Amino acid sequence: MQQTVIDRIEPVAEDVVSLTLRGTDGPLAPWEPGAHIDLSLPNWLTRSYSLCGDPADRERYRVAVRHDPLSRGGSEYVHRFLRQGRPLEVSLPRNHFPLLPAAEYLFLAGGIGITPLLPMLRAAAGAGVPASLVYVGRTTASMPFLDELRSRHPGRVRVAATRRDGRPDLAALAATLHPDALVYCCGPAPMLAAAQAAFPAGQLQVERFRPAARTFPANTPFEAVCARSGRTVQVPADTSLLDALVHAGLPVASGCREGVCGSCELALLDGEPEHRDDIGAPRGRMYPCVSRAVSERLVVDL
Amino acid sequence: MTHARTRPRPVPPAEVRARLGEPEGRVKDKILDHIDDQFRRFIAHSPFLTMATADAAGRADCSPRGDYPGFVKVLDAHTLAIPDRPGNRIADSFRNLAENDGIGLLFLIPGMRETLRVNGSAYPTDEPEVLARMQTEARQPKLAIVVEVAEAYGHCGRALIRSRLWDPASQALAGEMPTMGEMVAEQLGLDIPPAQLDQALQENYRHLY
Ligand code: FES
Repeated sequence: MQQTVIDRIEPVAEDVVSLTLRGTDGPLAPWEPGAHIDLSLPNWLTRSYSLCGDPADRERYRVAVRHDPLSRGGSEYVHRFLRQGRPLEVSLPRNHFPLLPAAEYLFLAGGIGITPLLPMLRAAAGAGVPASLVYVGRTTASMPFLDELRSRHPGRVRVAATRRDGRPDLAALAATLHPDALVYCCGPAPMLAAAQAAFPAGQLQVERFRPAARTFPANTPFEAVCARSGRTVQVPADTSLLDALVHAGLPVASGCREGVCGSCELALLDGEPEHRDDIGAPRGRMYPCVSRAVSERLVVDL
Repeated sequence: MTHARTRPRPVPPAEVRARLGEPEGRVKDKILDHIDDQFRRFIAHSPFLTMATADAAGRADCSPRGDYPGFVKVLDAHTLAIPDRPGNRIADSFRNLAENDGIGLLFLIPGMRETLRVNGSAYPTDEPEVLARMQTEARQPKLAIVVEVAEAYGHCGRALIRSRLWDPASQALAGEMPTMGEMVAEQLGLDIPPAQLDQALQENYRHLY
């Protein structure tokens, strides 16, 4: 955890505010484009937001938050109740969406999905790699950081306000792309689906803010053995592994509880997991808020 | 078993006002007919409320509700939604609301002396967009109570000051109480060790949603 204070909170588009957080205990932990942090909100909720400031600035983090009309209390709290000057505890940055080396980059942003891509575009442009951004939103008023992007990256940014311009032709973009290019896409589900249809899987990296709609095999009960504490926890079919561990009094962090943020990550020592997250759990890791077990037993490092 | 009853003498309604005097000035003025920004902030920081309902005959009932701060959603300036959670004895409230839609809420914020009172009428809903906003521990409530606000007002802090409700030292009072298991075993004349009841209760408390 890191201590910060809210330096600035300002509207940057319709229903979007940006938060500038200043570290109060010396320099903030470093991060790479694509990383996010968890904010511990005063209403006991934890929410993850992509860092969209300058990685070279070790004094400040910047995130942008869209007010979700179906807010469970995270984005609504940020919009209505956070105030400048308030201390705010944030996690260390985590990155499930790193910028991998490529001959060319195409960034596809949908609305608030611009946030992780903003520092990526900057890094790619700074490294002299050909890079362009297609930025899609309903109207330009709903799209944060347009001016900043246009002035900093003239000629690299194409804006598509769908009400006015319709949706961009992703297939046409795919046709002109360098074979060793990578495509980074962050936006709402329909946009991710369109990108998945247009680009080969090996070329496309996506980040979601809500889980993809998928169906899973029926839940079965299993047992979690916690190697460090020596505890064995039964996980009933109607309870997540995360909740079972928390109910048993074991310390596991959590944020989204939907398999997208990564804050509940556990090291897996033995057993076969059934991954249901949208992060893409690396080997030996799992996200217990959504993932379950194929084997009857999992051994976790807890 | 019969118990002796005491019945202190009643004061006729007409005399009560005469005894207490006129209500303090401005009391009336501070009653709003909606939730303004200040009250919205209050509700967003309140993890606990009491909810009073009554049946058709006016028999009243009051029950506690609690969750993370802001668990009660302000849908608009005239409408709140309260999630149903296990352990709320919601059936009582729903039975009452089916007969009599009147509702009275008292919101508390730990550490804050003033409370917020909201009165109005209420009904159950299963509106997906409302329930989606109440998801916790990956679960949505099956129902929520919609409250149509008729009046909302802050209540002064004297009761909470006198009761030392938020003074950490007040928590010593709980130490003077028997455990729930001991109480129940005695009240129901159960032949089960109280510690066992307490443990079962503890188990139960692990599942909050
Ligand atoms: S809590 Fe977000 S991935 Fe598990």
